[in-house]
Amino acid sequence: MAATKTAAPGDLLAQIADERQTGALVVGGHPGGAVYVFEGRVIYAESPAAPGVGELLTSSGRLAGRTWQNALDLGTSTARVGRLLVEQGHLTQGELELCVLGATYDAAYFVLAAGTGPVEFLPSATHWLGPVVHIDTAAVLREVRRRVKLLDDIIPNTRIDTAPVTPVARPPRERVTVTALQWELLIHADGQRTPADLALLLGRAGYATIQELRRLAALGLIELPEVRVPENSDFVRLPQHRREVAPVSRPAPATAEAPVVPVISGPAPDRHPPPDSGPPSGAPPPAATLPPPAPPPGEGNTGPNRLPRLARRKPGAKLPKELAGIPDPPVHQGTDEVLLKRIRTALRALR
Amino acid sequence: MPGVDHCLQEAMTIPGAVGASIVDYTTGFPVATTGAAPNADHEGAAAGTAEVVQAANSRSLFVSAIPHDLLEDLIITTAGGYHLLRVVQTEFDSRLVLYVWLDRVRGNLAVARRKMQRLADELVAS
Repeated sequence: MAATKTAAPGDLLAQIADERQTGALVVGGHPGGAVYVFEGRVIYAESPAAPGVGELLTSSGRLAGRTWQNALDLGTSTARVGRLLVEQGHLTQGELELCVLGATYDAAYFVLAAGTGPVEFLPSATHWLGPVVHIDTAAVLREVRRRVKLLDDIIPNTRIDTAPVTPVARPPRERVTVTALQWELLIHADGQRTPADLALLLGRAGYATIQELRRLAALGLIELPEVRVPENSDFVRLPQHRREVAPVSRPAPATAEAPVVPVISGPAPDRHPPPDSGPPSGAPPPAATLPPPAPPPGEGNTGPNRLPRLARRKPGAKLPKELAGIPDPPVHQGTDEVLLKRIRTALRALR
Repeated sequence: MPGVDHCLQEAMTIPGAVGASIVDYTTGFPVATTGAAPNADHEGAAAGTAEVVQAANSRSLFVSAIPHDLLEDLIITTAGGYHLLRVVQTEFDSRLVLYVWLDRVRGNLAVARRKMQRLADELVAS
């Protein structure tokens, strides 16, 4: 049974489960991966296209890289990395189980969704994480089929799942709404990273990543991968560089310089001609030579950040809303919380 | 250390609980289930649960503009029962909700909500 053969990995896994075997089903090809079975039940799955438990826990900052590495060093030989993390108090049992369940279903999709490929079963092989969960194999297979269908319901184009992601230079409509994960993907997509790279980089589930990428493709926000024409196989297509929508070094708009238009300002109206008395391009602008008037209270245009003053402002008139005072830098309410979380993570790593 | 199964067992001790599950709302898949499900179909219930959570997460009416003001609970009542959804906040990427189905006559919404809050927190906090 250890010989490599070409078969549908799903069928073989069902057979292994029926026979209540223990071992690893290794599937070749792209992306490939392995499903670990213990007495006919799935205990873990891994694939290069799906971040594993370690990547999920460390890239989110839940565990320090050192903590994870220590657990690997201690527990790999005895296949109890997961139990060690819980026993040492780095993770709760609930967190570990949820993380393993998520990672297993995620990787199982990439290992088993491929129709056929080189498949090998390594009897009695086990995973260094150790058995944390035991999942009914039929449920895994059913879920993989369902996930394939979910993706095809969004847009049936499997090339999106593997090709480098390129955001479109201009969105196809004026107003675009994206989810948090879609935004993360769009700002990290550079025309070179594949969906698997993005999932690893962001510590996001591989399936959730391609699900959002298919949605982005359906919205027209990422470019559809070109179908490679077989005649062009002599050429190597270089990764497409992401185009710039606007030059990065745009000149900053000049502010607080001398106003180009004469200004009739608020106080002391008796010393000025009335606002509408003359054309604005008339000889020496009357207000330009006067000392700056005391700004009306509450308009926030004092100090060095004074805004360019408006032409033909009537005494006592208010500034338009978009100019009424430079807004204070936004108070980021989460700062303390983020800092405290990082401290907590660091302290946990010391335990 | 409470695991997933323990969390669901505890959820079933909520007065009036008929069934409980933990659902991955990106895929609509029940990660773990116990007890009964509407129409005796946990997977169908999970798919529906995911659609409800995604709708609440994507409609501007319910999405707060304030940072970290995230969705907590969804409560749906019918003539015969209460359906409570509580988002499980994990630090790693998971996107899970705890779902409990309560009998309308025996269940108490306030008690159940507080208990679910505690269960969801205990599941991920040490």
